[in-house]
Amino acid sequence: MKKVMVGNHAVSWGVKLARAEVIAAYPITPQTQIVEELAEMTADGRLAARFIKVESEHSAMAACIGAAATGVRAFTATSSQGLLLMHELLHWAGLGRLPIVMADINRAVAPGWSIWTDQNDTLAQRDTGWVQLYCETNQEVLDTTVQGFKLAETVDLPVMIVLDAFFLSHTSEPVDVPDQAEVDAFLPRREARLKLDVHDPHAFGALTTPAVYMELRLRQQEAFDRAREAFAAVDREWAERFGRGYGALESYRTEDAEIVLVTSGTITSTTRHVVNERRARGERIGLVKVKMFRPFPTGPLRDALSHVPAVAVLDRNISPGHGGIFAEEIRAALYDLPPGRRPRIDGYVVGLGGRDVTPAVIEDCLERTRRSQAEAAAAAANGGAEREIAREDIWVGVKP
Amino acid sequence: MPDDRGSPDLAHGVPPVAVSSTSTRVNLTGSWKYIRPVYQDKVAPCNQGCPVGIDIEGYMNLLREDRIEDAIGLLLRENALPAVTGRVCYHPCENACNRAWLDDAVSIHGVERMLGDLAIEQRILPEPETPRPETVGIVGSGPAGLSCAYHLARLGYTVTVYEAEAEPGGILRYGIPEYRLPKDVLAHEVNRIRALGVDFRCGVQVGRDLPLNVLESHDAVFVATGARRGRALGIEGEDLPGVRAGLDFLREVNRGGRPALGHRVVVVGGGNTAMDCARTALRLGAEVLVLYRRGREGMPAHDEEVEDALREGVRFEFLAAPVRVESTERVPDREPLEAIEATFDRFEGEPPAPHVAGLTCTRMRLEEPDRSGRPRPVPVEGSEFFVAADLVLTALGEDPDFDFLPEDVERASGVVRVNALNATGHGALFAGGDITDEPHTVAFALGSGKRAAVGIDRYLRFRAGEIGDGADLSELRQGPKGNISVTRWVGGDPVRRTDPVNRVVTFQETNPAHFAPVARAADRHLPPGERRLGFREANLGLEREQALAEARRCFNCGVCNECELCLVFCPDLAISRSAGGGYEIAYEYCKGCGVCATECPRGAITMTREGL
Ligand SMILES: Cc1cc2nc3c(=O)[nH]c(=O)nc-3n(C[C@H](O)[C@H](O)[C@H](O)COP(=O)(O)OP(=O)(O)OC[C@H]3O[C@@H](n4cnc5c(N)ncnc54)[C@H](O)[C@@H]3O)c2cc1C
Ligand code: SF4
Ligand code: SF4
Ligand code: SF4
Repeated sequence: MKKVMVGNHAVSWGVKLARAEVIAAYPITPQTQIVEELAEMTADGRLAARFIKVESEHSAMAACIGAAATGVRAFTATSSQGLLLMHELLHWAGLGRLPIVMADINRAVAPGWSIWTDQNDTLAQRDTGWVQLYCETNQEVLDTTVQGFKLAETVDLPVMIVLDAFFLSHTSEPVDVPDQAEVDAFLPRREARLKLDVHDPHAFGALTTPAVYMELRLRQQEAFDRAREAFAAVDREWAERFGRGYGALESYRTEDAEIVLVTSGTITSTTRHVVNERRARGERIGLVKVKMFRPFPTGPLRDALSHVPAVAVLDRNISPGHGGIFAEEIRAALYDLPPGRRPRIDGYVVGLGGRDVTPAVIEDCLERTRRSQAEAAAAAANGGAEREIAREDIWVGVKP
Repeated sequence: MPDDRGSPDLAHGVPPVAVSSTSTRVNLTGSWKYIRPVYQDKVAPCNQGCPVGIDIEGYMNLLREDRIEDAIGLLLRENALPAVTGRVCYHPCENACNRAWLDDAVSIHGVERMLGDLAIEQRILPEPETPRPETVGIVGSGPAGLSCAYHLARLGYTVTVYEAEAEPGGILRYGIPEYRLPKDVLAHEVNRIRALGVDFRCGVQVGRDLPLNVLESHDAVFVATGARRGRALGIEGEDLPGVRAGLDFLREVNRGGRPALGHRVVVVGGGNTAMDCARTALRLGAEVLVLYRRGREGMPAHDEEVEDALREGVRFEFLAAPVRVESTERVPDREPLEAIEATFDRFEGEPPAPHVAGLTCTRMRLEEPDRSGRPRPVPVEGSEFFVAADLVLTALGEDPDFDFLPEDVERASGVVRVNALNATGHGALFAGGDITDEPHTVAFALGSGKRAAVGIDRYLRFRAGEIGDGADLSELRQGPKGNISVTRWVGGDPVRRTDPVNRVVTFQETNPAHFAPVARAADRHLPPGERRLGFREANLGLEREQALAEARRCFNCGVCNECELCLVFCPDLAISRSAGGGYEIAYEYCKGCGVCATECPRGAITMTREGL
């Protein structure tokens, strides 16, 4: 069934199809519609869940942790400052290995108070032990939400579904809503392996000595390793059932490309448009969309980008004092490729605080990379040394 | 060990999460506590606030469980006249209601009225206890007398009521007007008392029609002859025809009389009698002005009464007091023409008898509060003015008259002195209601009658050697300041209570977070326009569903209603349901965090010092 809906409601519908059993959330722009819709769904009986009202995001996550620990399927959603307030409990969910699913609407952090999109809120939670999946369209949002539960419960890790403020959260698109029975077949009731049981009480998260703490961390790391393959399997099954798959990474018209743009979130759609135009003019431009940020898709990235002469990474985020976060991580992932297969990587910081990333901005990035690539080629032809890879990311579309 | 088979993490022998391998049952967290929760039911503030001593919280609790008949039973256990009090009591219970701190007090009177009417409709008749050999005589059938008679009859006594008027009810019958208290409602409730075997001898004034010593044939006597002597204006001209005691006027109308009033009626006074006179005169077609020496805020009349009077069209002249009643023979300059015309008209035949023409009044201003704490009104010099009137009704308060009582019954400042159970100290003579030192309201009268019934029962049982005299009265009260509970005196509370303590639960002890604000149901009213046309009841009370919804607004302060929240919230799973109802706490695990006591919506759990 096709429905026209905003990205926020695509999350709600995904949660409904996944039959979440406990929802605890605190409202924050631009996430509010997600929980409003879910509150209505629970109130009118369309969703058999317990909706827990809380006084903060910290409590929302605490409630989800408690619920998930008893073996039920728990969901919450937040954004920006709300996500930052959850920080302590994100670790608790992560190391507690609780398969909670949370949607975060990427919103810039304050101050300057902002409700518009960028990725600093979620990227600040990089090390909390959550899987992170970034979405490009409302359809992808709904699909990823349901997939997220299956992935989470397969590897016992919490999963964060990430979408851009307003560009997705408040923009309507046609979305195919899968049939409930088919979703039920894809995602049966949660079977918790470890859970709180009042008849056999055990302490969870109690004092852990140096003798075992590191092993717990190792178990977590191994789970993240498995999560790569687990996501591929989940995505494959989804594609078989529903005809849509996304992959941890998507390569778009990268065959024989001289320059590949790397994006995440909604910038991807605009970049597709730019790539199509350039290709129409015969230019060899391609695109790689990064959907999965944790675990980091190192292998697929190396496969997709080795042999490409130049890569331009567009980061809607900034690690102050360093640079764009995706660019950093991609450089690290590709660094030990043999010199002949290692692309030159340019990083561009764009679209912070919700600033539009228009085709012109993307073209600007592209032209800069083309120029630096030409300079490098000329230097190489003159027998000069290869220019350093690590250099400062360039801010594009910004007033000096 | 929890079942974590199937977890791929387990291949390594360390579980995927930090989980204890032994059961936490071995960890007796109870050893940590220094305070412990105990289930301890308390008294709701409304129960203490009701002068009758009704277990309001108890019947609200029963209503919540849809036990309507039990609720009526509990109400009738304490209150002889619920359909009456539901209408005319000023509901001090609601002033005490904890819910007022959240949104608005529960409409207790509305629920009480609905239950009272239902009891009439369903002809509910409480069963008397085992008959007793003693007889009790009661003088006066106002609310105090009726209450005492009812409770004594239920306790098994043979009761005779002597009443001077033609019908029982006292002020309820002859003072309060029909539009506030329909007389058939009163009759139904009196009939319920009759059906318990109480013998009413009406038209018998003790001391006049019947010598006092006739009462000696009874084993005990309760006297509740009320306060009926209206206070005089104490000004010149007050004996003129056309000046009348308000209570007397109300009595005439309540007997079915419809006196001609003339056009303009002036009522002097600001109490409830004044309001009743004004609104009654209005219904008889007069234009009514109330003169009161203080301001609107200073009126002793109940606020709702004043509001109703205003709505119906009664006019008020505040800060004004009469200084002289003017006769038709001598009318002040203000209205000479009118006076002369009146005089000429009458010269036609017999010279007319002098009659009231109006009141010369003075403006008042308020000075420093007097001993009663209210601002003292003093006349403003040279501010005299004239108010024309065809009838002046005085309503300055009523005093008791008990000249017929034996000399040695102790009196003090115009009232009969009684002890905590209303004994006068004169043999088996008890007294209550308006002749004793308590506020002149129906609820206090009913409460005193009930207290005296318990006092007489105790006295006669003690005399018969059935009980000692040591019973602790404070345990019988609805809270330290509340009235006596008959339920406690006779036992058989239909509400299960755990370790009850006689302490009133405060709003701070409740947890309003568990209640959503819900608007209080307002009484339905006849439109003011229709009210002036006759004596139909003006306040129509609540619909049954509204009243039941009000009962659901009740917090059930202080008494566990098994809402289960403590069990849900206890982080140590130390609370469980006990077989006989209620809950048990496994103290070896309860670590004394107090979450249960904090969460309990009604303060039914008390934290106590460990080891004390
Ligand atoms: C006009 C008016 C309106 C009121 N409205 C309200 C109201 O809305 N709400 C409220 O709470 N209170 C109201 N009150 C006060 C309330 O009515 C009284 O406080 C209450 O009725 C007192 O009860 P009681 O039993 O002591 O006396 P009463 O009701 O006065 O009854 C005394 C009875 O004793 C009888 N009696 C007297 N002497 C003898 C005798 N020697 N032998 C035999 N019988 C005798 C009388 O005839 C009378 O029937 C009102 C009072 C008045 C005057
Ligand atoms: S008798 Fe009066 S005070 Fe008592 S419950 Fe009824 S309305 Fe309230
Ligand atoms: S909430 Fe209920 S129990 Fe509490 S004071 Fe009000 S009427 Fe009484
Ligand atoms: S929380 Fe509920 S069940 Fe527990 S003591 Fe209070 S009223 Fe009773």
